[in-house]
Amino acid sequence: MKIGIPRALLWSIYLPLWKAFFNELGHEVVLSPPTNKKILNDGVTACVDDACLPVKIMHGHVIDLMDRADLIFIPRLISICPREYICPKFIGLPEMIRNSVPGGPKLLVLDFNAHKSIRHGYDGFIAIGRQLGARESAVRRALARAMKAQDEYTARLLGGSNPLMLLEGMALHAGIGGNKGTIGLIGHPYLLYDRFVSMDACRKLAQMGYRLIFPENILPEQIERTCSIYPKKLFWSYGKHLLGSGLAMLEKGMADGIIVLSSFGCGIDSFMVELLQRQNQRDFRIPLTVITLDEHSGNAGFDTRLEAFVDMLEWRDHNGHYFSPHGEGLYIC
Amino acid sequence: MVITFPHMGRVYISVKALFDDLNVKLVVPPPVSKNTLELGTRLAPEMACLPLKISIGNYIESIKRGADTIILTGSCGPCRFGYYGVVQKEILKDLGYDVNIVILDAPNTGFKAFIDKIRMISGYSSLSSLMRAFRAAFKVTVEVDELMDIVLRKRPREKHKGETDRLLSRFEHDVLKVHGSTETLELVAIYKDKISVIAEDEKADPVRIGLVGEIYTLIEPYVNLNVEKKLGSLGVEVHRGITLTDWIKTHLSMDMKYKRARRNALDKAKPYLGRCIGGHAWETIAATVGFNEKGMDGVIQILPFGCMPEIVAESIIPTISRDLSLPAMTVTVDELTGEAGYMTRLEAFVDLLSQKKGMVS
Repeated sequence: MKIGIPRALLWSIYLPLWKAFFNELGHEVVLSPPTNKKILNDGVTACVDDACLPVKIMHGHVIDLMDRADLIFIPRLISICPREYICPKFIGLPEMIRNSVPGGPKLLVLDFNAHKSIRHGYDGFIAIGRQLGARESAVRRALARAMKAQDEYTARLLGGSNPLMLLEGMALHAGIGGNKGTIGLIGHPYLLYDRFVSMDACRKLAQMGYRLIFPENILPEQIERTCSIYPKKLFWSYGKHLLGSGLAMLEKGMADGIIVLSSFGCGIDSFMVELLQRQNQRDFRIPLTVITLDEHSGNAGFDTRLEAFVDMLEWRDHNGHYFSPHGEGLYIC
Repeated sequence: MVITFPHMGRVYISVKALFDDLNVKLVVPPPVSKNTLELGTRLAPEMACLPLKISIGNYIESIKRGADTIILTGSCGPCRFGYYGVVQKEILKDLGYDVNIVILDAPNTGFKAFIDKIRMISGYSSLSSLMRAFRAAFKVTVEVDELMDIVLRKRPREKHKGETDRLLSRFEHDVLKVHGSTETLELVAIYKDKISVIAEDEKADPVRIGLVGEIYTLIEPYVNLNVEKKLGSLGVEVHRGITLTDWIKTHLSMDMKYKRARRNALDKAKPYLGRCIGGHAWETIAATVGFNEKGMDGVIQILPFGCMPEIVAESIIPTISRDLSLPAMTVTVDELTGEAGYMTRLEAFVDLLSQKKGMVS
């Protein structure tokens, strides 16, 4: 059977697991093409106005796959870590798609719920394996192999690679001017690693001569530690991931500046970015900018903001040690 | 210690009765106004949801009146409400306000911490007086909700337009002057009687509309631009999909009979949404189906801009509307909602329903 996997939401994090699982069970996997103008437009038309950009794009990818795959794989990622959630829209995703995409797409829904324990989460894979007609032992074997592939992938991400390099073979070479410094790029995987949505920010920054560091490169233990300054457990896995990796970059001085990419209307970002900015303002004071993306974002304005940010970093480097007559640094207070 | 809390509709009546009974000093924040909203939108993150912005405004207005401890309830996701306390604390900290924020999470996330917090804010009252006060406050909530049900029934039927609302605003004025649950209950009873005897127009056959959506938006009149009153004055009998009493019974009481009934009500959502996705989206879907069974003429969903769970519900409601041929409309509100445009939409919807009703009967 042909199973379609939309190149949207968390595909860039979990593709090795999903793909290996279906391949091991003897099914063919069809990926939708990288996001393009048509996919965006289809998604925006089908989806409710209030939803965020990544969810709209997900709708577009499903529409694209409709006549190319027998079943479209929709992960309902309720929770990927005990006592945490991702986002309410992820939990209601299959319902949103069923009710918004015209023509009744045939969905293969994975319920992944690790709210009680990680082991519980993988029960969802057993269920869809059985649904596809395989015996339980065969499903377990396929799952074990798929998990191994996923572990290798995660290890490479933590080792400093990124999904753009591993899944799309895109090298982020430093351009003219060599290595000028490091920029921390923070955002949900579906923004950072989607070249259409992020307007190729990664390549552009690399060409300007900067090395990039991503949230996926930060060790989970570090994230847990930096987030423990808050009195209440952060119950959004990705919220915690972004905030924690941002804080870790600040604390360890890993980056000369931080760019946060956020999608318009993202409920979780609205809180996480606020907390990150306040912490930076209080204790670290390195350049940090937030760029909000939506379906109306234009390339030119986006480039201007990136350039302005990089200019600021460079001038700061240059003049940061200049002290004005009354004793305060011009750029570093 | 002077306690304050965020506004949410008429919750202040019960909270005031509770702390009066416990002899704890309390500042009731001034009613939500333009000033509250402006304070909130200036200080809160731009993309945060409306309730967060307004409650920040509430705190600051209360702090200026002497409050030093803020209490609010919490939850553990996935809705953003669960993290309000932490974000608000950071904002107040950077503003230089030295206040204590007590987040009351559900007891199952740490029973001892919960009890300690309750003891702290109650001024270390004895357990028996605490129980008594809570029970009395719950009674106040139930009674006030009943009063509101009478108001909602009366508005479209009153003979002299505006009579119900005149009495209601007098009640809201008087209720701040009484002390403790006993006096509050007496006052509620007086106004229940007064409003019940308002003369009705016998010929009135109002259109019936069910309101569903996010709880704060439904309960707080400033946020929904007083939708109940607006619809009432258009001659609509409004039914609420969720009330404060429901919320308390769901989260704080052990009423097994209610819990079973709630379970059954939620089962109605099954063909469309079979699980909790945070916030009140599940309830919204269940109530929409339930309202159809109760023979409502239409349903209006109200959500604050960017509310994550309700967006899922919003995408499901058109299907329900089609399946059950139940007219439904979704209204999104935020700090920029204009009253005129909002009113036009309500009027248009009510016009459609009354025409449909005229044709059917």
